[in-house]
Amino acid sequence: MRIQVRRTGGFAGIERFAEVETSGRADAQEWHALAEQAVADGRGTPPIGVPDGFSYQITVNDRTVYCSDPRLTEEQRKLISRVLKEGA
Amino acid sequence: MKTNGGHEPVFCTVVPPHVLDKLAQHEDPALAGPARRTLERDALERTHRRLTTVIGAPAVAAPAGAEAGKPHRTVYDAGHGTALPGRKVRGEGDKPGKDATVNRAYAGLGATFELFLKAYERDSIDGNGLPLDATVHYDREYNNAFWNGEQMVFGDGDGEIFLDFTIPVDVIGHELAHGVTQYTANLTYFGQPGALNESMSDVFGALIKQYTLGQTAAEADWLIGAGLLAPRVTGVALRSMKAPGTAYDDDVLGKDPQPATMDDYVRTGRDNGGVHINSGIPNHAFYLAATELGGHAWERAGQIWYDVLTGGELKEKASFGDFAKLTVAAARARYNEGEELRAVLKAWEQVGVRTV
Repeated sequence: MRIQVRRTGGFAGIERFAEVETSGRADAQEWHALAEQAVADGRGTPPIGVPDGFSYQITVNDRTVYCSDPRLTEEQRKLISRVLKEGA
Repeated sequence: MKTNGGHEPVFCTVVPPHVLDKLAQHEDPALAGPARRTLERDALERTHRRLTTVIGAPAVAAPAGAEAGKPHRTVYDAGHGTALPGRKVRGEGDKPGKDATVNRAYAGLGATFELFLKAYERDSIDGNGLPLDATVHYDREYNNAFWNGEQMVFGDGDGEIFLDFTIPVDVIGHELAHGVTQYTANLTYFGQPGALNESMSDVFGALIKQYTLGQTAAEADWLIGAGLLAPRVTGVALRSMKAPGTAYDDDVLGKDPQPATMDDYVRTGRDNGGVHINSGIPNHAFYLAATELGGHAWERAGQIWYDVLTGGELKEKASFGDFAKLTVAAARARYNEGEELRAVLKAWEQVGVRTV
């Protein structure tokens, strides 16, 4: 499973992108469960944002969903933080 | 982008928007063409609906017995979590504590309140004594600060690229100014009105810093976020109103993408249609008008911009041209056919925005 996170907006307006390929990983099952739940809670189009808030695009294999700060589910926040290795 | 066998997260750091735009075209067909335009329109409409809802919400009353013309500040600590507002750590009139972040946020709220009251006779964000709430230590290694429609939220930064977001007083002022915009012109946070919304926050954020330091337009650095970048980053700040596009040029962060004039206007769907990018154009116009006039920028240039923001004529979906025309009208209304009017006309002409 390929998990990609793209973050746009924010006070700085600087984008970040990172991805994780889970195949061959010892913790692949954990990643899959997290990614599936994060995508299930996402939206098909970019949701309402707040001024200077981050917007996220999560792509798991071929499916892309959107979410925005500060309204993330726990799974989305955890997945984004893990992939970007940064607070979300 | 690089791969390393898939055993560790692949970290692509911060890629410049124009590179990512190109990448997106290859990687993500869902964003291309008509779909992309549909997404942009949907986002615009939803943002509009949400902001209208926020405006329509009942105003938060000042505390009972609170004095008009005084700030009502509360700083909360999220304890590195994400629940808002978090634990109350400092209320109005409380003595400074040991946490420098809390003290900076408290002082920054006060500085912002002070500028709006003293320069423009505005009692807080809503003009009616709205309590000023801020949460610090939001999340871990959180590289951002934002206004959630009700309060400010500040991250500590990751220490690698960004430091604590309460360090620059103009960042605190920027977030609160989003509140002022929300309660006044309510500029839609997308495309040109969104870039104007961002520019209002940069203009008043910069003015709060200048007011605090007692600087004239000639003495000011006109930087947004000076002191926010970690020492290893090659850059002086996040944005420059004096020279948009020159604030940073770093191997990890990329290059400051801001244009100074309409010739370099960036068309993009990212960042709500480039709200943090094209804000460079109205930002630079304000800088040009303020430095042409000289003296304290919050006095005449700032007054004209404030008159437009709060005057009731500025539409939620205003373009740069709409805004520019209103500044011309505001300059004439307040200062007649004087140097103020000439400075405003010249500033917009220099950035390539038509005022006729």
